[in-house]
Amino acid sequence: MELLAQLAPKTFWNAQNGSGELFIKIILGLLVSTGIVVALFKTPNQLRRWVITAVTFFSGLFYVLFWIYPTPINRQPDEAPRNVLEGFSFWLSDAQPVVADLTNIIAAFLIGLGIYSLLRVHLGRIGKQQRDWQFSVVLIAGMVIMVIFGYVDWYMRLDPANAKMAGSGYVGWTFWQFGRDLLFNGLLQNMDAGMFSIVAFYILSAAYRAFRARSVEATILLVTALIVMLSLMGLIEYFWAQGVDGMHLSNNFKLDNVARWLRANVQTPAIRGIDFGVGIGLLSMGVRLWLNLEKTGGSN
Amino acid sequence: MGQNYLDNGWISILITLFMVTVVLFNILRAHGVKDLFIRRIAGLNAIDEAVGRATEMGRPVLMVPGLTDTAVNAKTMQAINIFAHVSRIAARFANPILVCCYNASTFTVAQEIIRDVYQEEGLIDRYDVDSVRFISDRQFAFAAGVAGLILREQAAATFFMGEFYAESLILAETANSVGAIQVASSTELTQTPFFIAACDYVLIGDEFYAASAFLTRQPVLVGSLIGQDWCKLAIAWLIVMGVVSNSIQLKGGSSNKVTQAWKEGKVDQLKKPRPFNMGDTTMSRWLNPDPAKDIKIERPKLSPDEMPPKGSGGDN
Repeated sequence: MELLAQLAPKTFWNAQNGSGELFIKIILGLLVSTGIVVALFKTPNQLRRWVITAVTFFSGLFYVLFWIYPTPINRQPDEAPRNVLEGFSFWLSDAQPVVADLTNIIAAFLIGLGIYSLLRVHLGRIGKQQRDWQFSVVLIAGMVIMVIFGYVDWYMRLDPANAKMAGSGYVGWTFWQFGRDLLFNGLLQNMDAGMFSIVAFYILSAAYRAFRARSVEATILLVTALIVMLSLMGLIEYFWAQGVDGMHLSNNFKLDNVARWLRANVQTPAIRGIDFGVGIGLLSMGVRLWLNLEKTGGSN
Repeated sequence: MGQNYLDNGWISILITLFMVTVVLFNILRAHGVKDLFIRRIAGLNAIDEAVGRATEMGRPVLMVPGLTDTAVNAKTMQAINIFAHVSRIAARFANPILVCCYNASTFTVAQEIIRDVYQEEGLIDRYDVDSVRFISDRQFAFAAGVAGLILREQAAATFFMGEFYAESLILAETANSVGAIQVASSTELTQTPFFIAACDYVLIGDEFYAASAFLTRQPVLVGSLIGQDWCKLAIAWLIVMGVVSNSIQLKGGSSNKVTQAWKEGKVDQLKKPRPFNMGDTTMSRWLNPDPAKDIKIERPKLSPDEMPPKGSGGDN
C-alpha cells in the first residue's frame, strides 16, 4: 500500500518505509495540521480572513511556480541537482504529489460534512413523515448497506490469501463479495445506465421545441441542423449526390460537402472563439481568487 | 536552465503572463473610472424576473453550481457568486431557495457564502440550513436526485451554472416539464446546445465570467472584464499575424526549405529536399514546442546513503 511519504527517490518529502524518520515526519505533520486547525479556531474573525487569504496565496503560488519554473529534463532517480536553481526545480517536482495528496485529504474530510447534510435532510423527513418519506428510508438504507458491504469486501481483500477475489467462483468468494457485487454492479451501475438512457428521449423533446422556425436565428439553426442530420443518413445522402453528380459547380452542394463545410468553417471557428473567451475568463477569475481581489458573495 | 524551457514552451508562459498583466492593469485602472459600459446580458436581466415569478407562485428557486469532480475550482466559485446574487434577491422576497451540490467541498463553500448573504441582508432568520444540500457525488445519482427535487418541490425558477456534462438535458428538461423559468450556462461547450434547446436564457462562453461584473458593478470585476476584452483583441491580432506569417512562409517554398535544413544541420536533406509544411512555420514552432527528449544532462549522482535500499519500500 502506498503511503504519503514512501516514494523513491529520497527527498525532503519522504522517508524510508518503516524508518524512525518516516514516523517522526508523520507525527510532525499531524502536529502541524492540528496546530493550524486549533489556531484557526482561536483566531478572531477579522484575522482569520487574512490567514485564509495568505493560505490561498501561498497555495496558488506553489502551482504558479510549479508551472512557470523549468522542470528538470530527463531526471533520473539517483541524480542530484547541479546548482541551487535546479535544486529548486527538483524540490518543486518532489513536492507536487505531496501537495496534491494534501488537497485530496482535505477534500476527503469534507465528505463527512456532506454525509451529515444528507442524513440531516432525510432523517428529518422520515421523522416528520413528510411527503415521499419512504424514498428517504431507501436512500439511507442503501447508503448504510453499501458502506458495510464495501468496507468488509475491501478489508477482506487486504489479506493476500484473498487476492484472487476478482470474480464470482473464485476461492474466497463469500457472501460479502456477492453482496457488494450485487449492489454495485447489479444495481447501481444499471440504474446509472438507466438514467443515462433517458437523455435520448429528452434530446428528442428538446430538439422538437428548438427546431421551430420562430425567429431568424431559430430558422438558421433549423436549416443547419437539417443539413447535418440529412448528411448522416446514407440513403438520402446517396440520392442527393446522384442528383448533383457530374455538374462541376453543383458538386459543392453534395450533402456531405455542405455539412463538412459547415463544420469546418462555421462550427469550429465559433467553438474556438468561445473557447478563447472561456479560457481568458477562467484565467482572470483564477487571478482574482488567487490575489483575493474578489469579494465572494457578489455583494452590491 | 534555459534549455529546460525547450520542454514546456516559453511562448505559452509569456502569453499567459502578458494576459495576467493586462487584467491586473485594467483592475487598477478601473478604480479611477466611473460608469464603465457593460453590454446587456439577457440571461442576467432575467434573474429578477425569475425570482419574482417564483415569489408570486410561492415555489422555490433551485440552483445547481455544476458538477466538479475535483475540489472547488474557479468555475464553481463563479457559479456560487452568481447564486449569491440570486439568493440575495430571494432573501429580500422571503422566497425559499434550494442549492444542490455535487461534491462535499462545493457544499461547504456554498453553505458558507449563502449564509453570509442572508447575514449581510440582516435576514438570517429566513435562512434555512437545509436550503444548501449535498445530493451525491455520482453523476446520474445526482441527476436523479435533483430531478426528483424539481418535481417534488415544483421549482418555479432554476439556475444551472458551471460544469455540466451528460446530465444537463435531464435537469433542464425536467425543469421545463414543471414550467420553471430557466437560466443556464455551461463551461462545457458540448452542453451549451442542450441548454439552448431546453432553457429560457443561456449565458454562452465568457458571459458566464462576465456575470459577476454585470450584476455587482464592482470596479475590480468590471476592470477585469475590460482586461479580458483587451486579451481577446490581442489574441485576435495574434491570429491575424499568424495567418500572415504562415502565408508568407508557406509561399516562400524552396528557399525556406533549404534554409531550414541548414539551420537544423540536416545536410542530407539538402540532397533530397522535402516540402515545407505547416509544421515548419515559425508560428507553429513557437506554439508546438518539441519535447527535449534527446537532451542529456550530466548531473552529480546521489550517494548510496541517500537512496532507499532495494526492496525496503521505495515506490512499493
